[in-house]
Amino acid sequence: MNFDFTEDQHEIKRTARELLAKRSGLEQIREAAEGDAYDESLFTELRELGWTGIAIDEQYGGAGLGVVELMILCEELGYALAASPFLANALGGLMIEHAGSDEQRAKWLPGIASGEATATVAFASGGSSEVVPDADGAAVIALIEGDEATLVARADADVEPVSTIDPTRRYARVSASGGEPLPGDVAGALARAEVALSAEMVGIAQRTQEMAIEYAKERKQFDTPIGAFQAVSHRCAQMLFDTEGARSATYFGGWAADADQSQLALAAAIAKAAASEAALSVTASSIQVHGGIGFTWEADVHWFFKRAQLDAAMLGGTGKQRARVTRLTADSLATAGGA
Amino acid sequence: MDLTFNESESAFRDELRAWIKANHPGEEPAGEDEGYAFRRDWQRQLYEAGWAAVHWPTEFGGRDATLVEAAIFNEELARARAPFPANVLGLLLAGPTLMIWGTDEQKQRYLDPIMSGEEIWCQGFSEPEAGSDLASLKSKAVRDGDDWLVTGQKVWTSGAQYSKWCMFVARTDFDAPKHKGLTYFILDMEQEGVEVRPLRQITGDPEFNELFLENARIPDANVVGGEGNGWTVALTTLMNERAGLAFGLQVGMKVALDELTEELAASGKLDDPMIADELGALHIKCEILRLTAYRGLTATMKYGQPGPEGSLTKWMWSQGNQELMQFATKALGPQALAGGSSWGRAMLRSRGNSIEGGTTEVLKNIIAERVLGLPRKK
Repeated sequence: MNFDFTEDQHEIKRTARELLAKRSGLEQIREAAEGDAYDESLFTELRELGWTGIAIDEQYGGAGLGVVELMILCEELGYALAASPFLANALGGLMIEHAGSDEQRAKWLPGIASGEATATVAFASGGSSEVVPDADGAAVIALIEGDEATLVARADADVEPVSTIDPTRRYARVSASGGEPLPGDVAGALARAEVALSAEMVGIAQRTQEMAIEYAKERKQFDTPIGAFQAVSHRCAQMLFDTEGARSATYFGGWAADADQSQLALAAAIAKAAASEAALSVTASSIQVHGGIGFTWEADVHWFFKRAQLDAAMLGGTGKQRARVTRLTADSLATAGGA
Repeated sequence: MDLTFNESESAFRDELRAWIKANHPGEEPAGEDEGYAFRRDWQRQLYEAGWAAVHWPTEFGGRDATLVEAAIFNEELARARAPFPANVLGLLLAGPTLMIWGTDEQKQRYLDPIMSGEEIWCQGFSEPEAGSDLASLKSKAVRDGDDWLVTGQKVWTSGAQYSKWCMFVARTDFDAPKHKGLTYFILDMEQEGVEVRPLRQITGDPEFNELFLENARIPDANVVGGEGNGWTVALTTLMNERAGLAFGLQVGMKVALDELTEELAASGKLDDPMIADELGALHIKCEILRLTAYRGLTATMKYGQPGPEGSLTKWMWSQGNQELMQFATKALGPQALAGGSSWGRAMLRSRGNSIEGGTTEVLKNIIAERVLGLPRKK
């Protein structure tokens, strides 16, 4: 029993934190959000460092590491709120790697690993999806409907950029007819994608918690730092409670993806529900701790709040995950009871 | 990361599981005294087989179990629905405190009877005027030759009616600042001057007691950790109180949650999406508690102390368990509140969870100040 990263994994986390602090600070986020354009050089740098292929098999040009390592990068990208197609590409890559045929893998994974021909994924209905992250720049789109998924080349799909409340990421409306089914383990691939997405939300929660605490130590009212008032300090304690709970659930999901797939379905549902709720509540709470300034365009906390809204809604919201947890648990109890 | 048990941990679990299966004492009898006697017999059984204090060092009769093994011990007892040993305060609090602060004579004298359950211990810390602000306690001890005479009142002393000894903190210096004037004693409960009165709680049961002391006598040899050092010694006890039980409590919550899930499934209520949603949220909280407790345990083993997650588990459990019990009585309907149902009683008992062993409000203060580094209110 060892619920901690390896030294190498800690090193990946530290390196990512340092790099993104330099390359994707709050000014860069603001610039990307207000300019409605990514800093292309950031994604180029991440690609050149091999981040895009971290969890993709070596035969397709990736580093062949696990979901745990990918999760670590996603958490740090969420912490930095990096504006890039990294997450969508990684999620699409997980779908193809774990549910695709050999031909599909050979066709798409090298471009996803190098970041030269990216992927994305979304839930769809009748071949169309209203809000798909980074679909416009993608080479291939995985559309999930119920228990099945279809792969559509960008060229064969109707893709129309849409604006959302989250200007730190680009989204598009996608509709397609036809496409190739992903023949493999769609549920398992989706569960891995949910874990990676959860990790981004853990990073968002961690960052906005730290912003709130820093502000609560500095900001004075009634001649007292507001963090000395229990109404504020207990709110901050609640942020730690929510963030650390989501972290426990998400890290376990990453471990299950790499080491014990029998636990993955339940672990991923728990991670996605916990991380979504934590990201929503902690970012909202951070705005509240910042008071009036937190409600201004000028403060940066709203970028995180907005990204959290979109992330939490992506790949099935909390209600769907909770229902899934109940069903999986009740089924396993019925099986154990019947055996 | 490796969230499986290694070979020796698995072997420990398998051996324990087999032993519990072969020696399970069965259902605890109704009634406070009957239940206590039953748990005392169970502790004797554990003691004779070498399972009573797995986390204690071998020199004191334990197994020198790792933190993981100690967690497994609590998990397995809870999973098998076997009772916790009667002298739980002795095993988790008094024993470890004496190992750190006790003299050789004290260790020699007290540890073995704690483990066997021959001598039961209770905890005399809280007072009517000193709850969360424990250091303001007023029970006083004055020298009388080679002895101390103590006078005062304690409250929430569970098991006092069965106890031979009490971990007793009293003020010995009224001029010193409040944290400095305290001394930690071992008080003999079987004497004139110690009166135990049962304290009936909202469930109707007298699980706790009040303690009234009128010139009760304590020999100087029963001071633990030196005169005036009582606050530091008491903190050792309190740290053990919060760390020890998380895994057993988590499994207890999981067992109740699974039972509820089965009851709701059998009655068709799981088809109600509102019920399925709330139940899912509770399973999520319960699993997060388990995972967070293991994260804290890994951090303690690797770095000597838990990280920020370590301060959260007691809060996670008390909140989760209260929500579970409230939801259970709501989802099962009014029959869960009728006399014969265990859910109604469990729901009432759960209200104490966020108060006992440190209120949630005090835990939040500790997190804000010590973990998040927020300033203290002046």
